[in-house]
Amino acid sequence: MIRAGRSASVMGHLVRAVCVGVVLFCGVANSALADVASDQAAAILIFPKVLVDTATPPNTKRGPIDTLIRVSNTSEKPISLFCFYINANGHCKNAPTTICDPYDRSGPCGQTDVCEAGWHETDFLVTLSPRQPIAWLASVGAAPCDDSSPAGVPCFPFAVSGQPPNKIQPVSEDPFVGELKCIAANFDGVPVDRNDLKGEAELVRSSTTPNQLLDVEVYNAIGIPAITGANDGDTKLVLGGGMCTGGSRNGSTCASVSACPGGRCTAEYSGCPNILILDHFFDGATDPVTGKQVTTTLTLVPCSEDFEAQASVPIVVQVLEFNEFEQRFSTSTSVTCFRDFKLTDIDASTPDRSLFSATVMGTLTGQTRFRGVVGKDPRYGYTLLGVAEEFRKDGGTAAFNLHFNGSRPDSDYMYLPH
Amino acid sequence: MGSASGMIGRWAVITGLAFTVSVAAARADITTERSASILIFPKLVFDSKGVQTGIPVDTIIQISNTSNSMVFAHCFYVNAAPPDPTHPPGPTNVPIWQEVDFEIFLTKQQPTHWVLSTGRLDDPTDNKSCNTDCSNAGFDPGRIPPAGNDPFTGELKCIEVDSSGAPINGNHLKGEATIVTTDGRADASKYNAVGVLGLNTDLNSNNSDNLLCLGGGVSPSCPNGAEYNACPQTLILNHFAENATDPVIEALGNGMGGKSLVSTELTLVPCTEDFENQAIPSVVVQFLITNEFEAQFSTSTTVTCWGNFRLNTIGAIGRILEVGTLGTRFAQTRIFPAGDDQPGVIGVAEEFHSQPTGAGAKPIISRAAENLHGEGARPLGDIIQLPGAF
Repeated sequence: MIRAGRSASVMGHLVRAVCVGVVLFCGVANSALADVASDQAAAILIFPKVLVDTATPPNTKRGPIDTLIRVSNTSEKPISLFCFYINANGHCKNAPTTICDPYDRSGPCGQTDVCEAGWHETDFLVTLSPRQPIAWLASVGAAPCDDSSPAGVPCFPFAVSGQPPNKIQPVSEDPFVGELKCIAANFDGVPVDRNDLKGEAELVRSSTTPNQLLDVEVYNAIGIPAITGANDGDTKLVLGGGMCTGGSRNGSTCASVSACPGGRCTAEYSGCPNILILDHFFDGATDPVTGKQVTTTLTLVPCSEDFEAQASVPIVVQVLEFNEFEQRFSTSTSVTCFRDFKLTDIDASTPDRSLFSATVMGTLTGQTRFRGVVGKDPRYGYTLLGVAEEFRKDGGTAAFNLHFNGSRPDSDYMYLPH
Repeated sequence: MGSASGMIGRWAVITGLAFTVSVAAARADITTERSASILIFPKLVFDSKGVQTGIPVDTIIQISNTSNSMVFAHCFYVNAAPPDPTHPPGPTNVPIWQEVDFEIFLTKQQPTHWVLSTGRLDDPTDNKSCNTDCSNAGFDPGRIPPAGNDPFTGELKCIEVDSSGAPINGNHLKGEATIVTTDGRADASKYNAVGVLGLNTDLNSNNSDNLLCLGGGVSPSCPNGAEYNACPQTLILNHFAENATDPVIEALGNGMGGKSLVSTELTLVPCTEDFENQAIPSVVVQFLITNEFEAQFSTSTTVTCWGNFRLNTIGAIGRILEVGTLGTRFAQTRIFPAGDDQPGVIGVAEEFHSQPTGAGAKPIISRAAENLHGEGARPLGDIIQLPGAF
């Protein structure tokens, strides 16, 4: 009896030790959950800014410009991408062929018309062989290489065995402003939990007339990692903020499959960041090296998307800013679906009166934080992602990725077309 | 009883080992977009006369404190310029590999900046708002020395420390470098500093000594195990084949004859550094290249202290990265140390696009920097040895 009692005690200790180990392990596994990142391969790639304007003379201030999209498969197995272009062009209500910016009240629609946002989505499926890199121009898309392929235009020299040849359509308009989201999928287009995709976008501005011009900038696509084993293969993608359904921890928050013994965690992908951080020159500041005036533009897109209903909600963005004197300022703006703006456009109609003006802030550089405010519609998560561009007057441009901070208890959702 | 205790002890050891392994597996990433405890700027260039490339260039460094407390950092320039700047580094032109260090402090959420060529004075008289020339306005982060050479090529590492100078795992620093040409075109190329996260768990915390343990397990040098995340096992670069044409220039900007060209410059620095003994770290780096046909090629080179090279000059057979040899315009290259006993490497890439401007005329060149992707973690870790106390 005593032996049995001691054995029971020993077994109890063993069970407790194992349980503690498992709990510790799970805790570590939770903390090991990968973050949204632009320097790690992931399952969802987001290119927040895609620009096209190939007309001569150009139709926009940024033209002539085109975007080269590069994506590669970092794994040794083939993978497909289910990609979505989002056209952020607006069109004048009474002149539907006239392209405008829905956020710009002084645009081409005039005083008697309004600029209607479209936010139209077009999608395509493309398959990559093991470790294969591909690239295409947003203006022309890409097709399998053959004798009729235009010289100098990227095409697909190789197709995965047993799969139809890849074909990517051009963006739906020229000029085009918008974003691209690509989701790792199987050959049938069903989302899969494979963190094997990396990508970059190159914005290339080039012309010969009236002056020789060349300006190239690159940013990394933002990657959202999938949680291994969590994807249920449906068309509703749940990003972060998971909840256990079933099992011993039913109703508890979770960030991994192992956190819900006997049940499942609703989160299929890592959550988007709570805050975006941008280090920047204040607009109008003088570059201490070249003497040129510097301005910064920011492109913000929501993490949540409804490609099925083609719907979007406005997100209020709180903005917190510090200059080099540790002085703190704040303002706000809003983003619906996509917004590309100069920092000084956030809070003032006259740039030199803005909180983002060097003359107002009194120092060369600042640190600014952007936070999407949680709204009422539970189908959306209200987080944001973005990329910045730095312009030098009569000089070059440089794109760069933002920094991320924190995560949210609430999920973001992407609804794919059925 | 002894047997039972032994059994429990063994289970505890096994459980602990499993936990340790899981902890090691968790230390998998460096970052270019999260605040960190170590910032690495792999590529800093200053060349006022364009001696090295024909184009004068300088670098603006930005660092900010993302916390609500004052933050201190100990920064190290590594000067990798060759003594004769008109010739590339080599056995007869061995780079200087000189380290110079300084300290900075940043108040709550404070951003700061300086220019590599000039550094920044700690001048209380310029602590006032500016209207036009804002170059030194704001709280000075401390005296920052200018680059030690003209031309200067090298790297900057900044390590978060407390007010006494002891390393801490605060993860409060972020940074960017902007490489700007000063030839009138003011072409700009910007990348995020590579951040190494300090660990803050029961098993992995910073003991604030001068040996910084990046990944790896418990060892005589690292009695607490890893204090920081490990450097990545593999770096991944998507790139143009060397001297491939740029499809946008060909479509929009090539009306003057000739071909556009794209070349990629890769900068690699070892994660291991010994600033105390000024020992020069060296690492054999392997390159595995996959073209658009899924065909694979490989080559290798040695990086000593700081390596900066065009892709088609890598190793004896670097020419395989030429578009004519590679056979496709785009490629994915995986970059990794030759063995687990080698130091890890981190880096940054910069593309140079060239647009022809007519027969006999110099082409226009535009540069664009990009951060590399990381994958996995170095199993044996890396060590940064800081200078000891006097």
